[in-house]
Amino acid sequence: MLLNFMDRMARSMAILGGLVLTVLIVLTCISVLGRGGNTFGHSEFLTSLAPGLAEALIGTGIGPVRGDFELVEAGIAFAIFAFLPLCQLHGGHATVDVFTSYLPARINNALIAFWEVLLSAIILLITWRLFEGLTGKFGNGEITYILQFPVWYAYAASFAAAVIASVVALYCAAARVTGLLTGRSYMPASEGASH
Amino acid sequence: MSLLDLGLLSFPVLLAMIFLRAPIGLAMMLCGIGGLYFGMGGANMFLAKLKSETYSTFSSYSLTIIPMFLLMGQFATLSGMSSALFKASEAWLGHRRGGVAMAAVGACAGFGAICGSSLATAATMGKVALPELRQYGYSGGFSTATLAAGGTLGILIPPSVILVIYAILTEQNIAKLFLAAFIPGLLAALGYMLTISIYVRLYPGAAGTRPAIPYAERWRALLDVWPVLLVFGLVVGGIYRGWFTPTEGAAVGAAGTGIIALVSGNLGWQVFKQAIIATAMSTAMIFFIVLGAAFYNSFLALSQVPQELSNIVLGQGFSPWTVLLLILGFYLIFGCLMDSLSMILLTIPIFFPVISQLDFGLSPEHLAIWFGILVLIVVEVGLITPPVGMNLFIINAMDRETPMVDTYRAVMFFVGSDILRVILLVAFPAITLFLLP
Repeated sequence: MLLNFMDRMARSMAILGGLVLTVLIVLTCISVLGRGGNTFGHSEFLTSLAPGLAEALIGTGIGPVRGDFELVEAGIAFAIFAFLPLCQLHGGHATVDVFTSYLPARINNALIAFWEVLLSAIILLITWRLFEGLTGKFGNGEITYILQFPVWYAYAASFAAAVIASVVALYCAAARVTGLLTGRSYMPASEGASH
Repeated sequence: MSLLDLGLLSFPVLLAMIFLRAPIGLAMMLCGIGGLYFGMGGANMFLAKLKSETYSTFSSYSLTIIPMFLLMGQFATLSGMSSALFKASEAWLGHRRGGVAMAAVGACAGFGAICGSSLATAATMGKVALPELRQYGYSGGFSTATLAAGGTLGILIPPSVILVIYAILTEQNIAKLFLAAFIPGLLAALGYMLTISIYVRLYPGAAGTRPAIPYAERWRALLDVWPVLLVFGLVVGGIYRGWFTPTEGAAVGAAGTGIIALVSGNLGWQVFKQAIIATAMSTAMIFFIVLGAAFYNSFLALSQVPQELSNIVLGQGFSPWTVLLLILGFYLIFGCLMDSLSMILLTIPIFFPVISQLDFGLSPEHLAIWFGILVLIVVEVGLITPPVGMNLFIINAMDRETPMVDTYRAVMFFVGSDILRVILLVAFPAITLFLLP
């Protein structure tokens, strides 16, 4: 039940992050096309061959998206925080299990639970410090260089995703420890990441 | 205990944690934080650092290239380009002795040109080529070994996720690294084909034959791979010509393969969700390691371990070539145990300062690029080295009839070809640097 809910939440966050990533890709492509069109409008080729067309092209205001990279940076940070819960819930973090594979399953499970608790603690620590960073940026009113939006907007978006990551992390830690004690599994069948 | 001692002590601690199955990113993070805590006599430093470091690592513009390349690889898998590539290369090579296996290697090389990851290339091409190989009477172990080896072309032939990380760590130009990887990547593909032709002469029973097909059909099959050439040319060519930054190139590539997948009718909402989920898993894994490495490396830098090690090595008066071979040997061994990306993130900040002090008769930039390509290749050999090479497991799992031992036996030929190539590239840096201006 609870696992189902966590899995849905983690998946939804990952898909939300993926949609943000997709939007950023499209935005970057528009920017590249815009810059290309602008260069083309100014190019010797077009200005000498069809000056009217060149002027019309430049007249449309074609050019790169202003400050696109500031949006990319803010968006991608959110996306990666949004990807974290799925990775933890499905045991996607890279490990080396060559040596431990010779140990009995019980010891392996204990090791997995031990690291899961530490991993969750680190995720909570990161979220807490991100909140401190957020209040700092909020307090000093820092804005980005080109688009001049407050930096704390970007921090707030990442923090929201980090909170979800923390909830899932708490679940994972509790599920592994409980699983160790009861001998039942409260985690999804592992998928592992391909890289 | 001095900072330097702490730094040196952190190596065995880190390795112990990793071998006791700690997630690699977590182990690096814990060692980094622990080191900063004990080294600075309190928690203030790492707590302050954590306020902005996670956000700034995750929002790094140059690292954005990674999720974009990963998504591009997912789209490429979905778009049917993998089967078009295999059909085309099979049409031209299939009738030769061992030709279908050569075709699989050729298709892997082609797929590597639009996918930046070895495991994804092995998995994708395995799905397409393995049934065909078996159908034409290729032995199980030979088929799986061929595809596992072919998969490593995914990362050798640009674009390559690992080269992006290397470029960032050593502050090198990504476009030039991609360019430098091109000839070694082609050499790898040719080397594998040569290996195949030797193998089928040694073991004639390992491969079936089939008649050649008419040229008209061959050309038609070749026509179907134009999207691959277009995307590769646009991304790598565009980055190299300076039309766009590497991140923009990755965005163009992801959008391009996405559109091709959409046009081919394979990209519905459900499939798109799967592509995102797979990208999300790999991205989160990579960035968590990058974050852990950022903390660990900032502790190491503070403890002066890299400089000290570099001084010790230089003080010994070893010849540059001995040092290089020792480092490559180290990668060869550890590459069998640990995943490539973690190894690069963990060791480059330590080894690179050493290498950059040595004189190989190359300019600093050329040295950095040459070393990067060598490391990339050696680390990738680990993916197909028995008993734990990841590619071997991925491909072997697809063919239930083939015992792992058969795969192990056949893959040793490919490992041999890899080692010969490394020796060649070490002896003649000009091969790697040939395309550079």
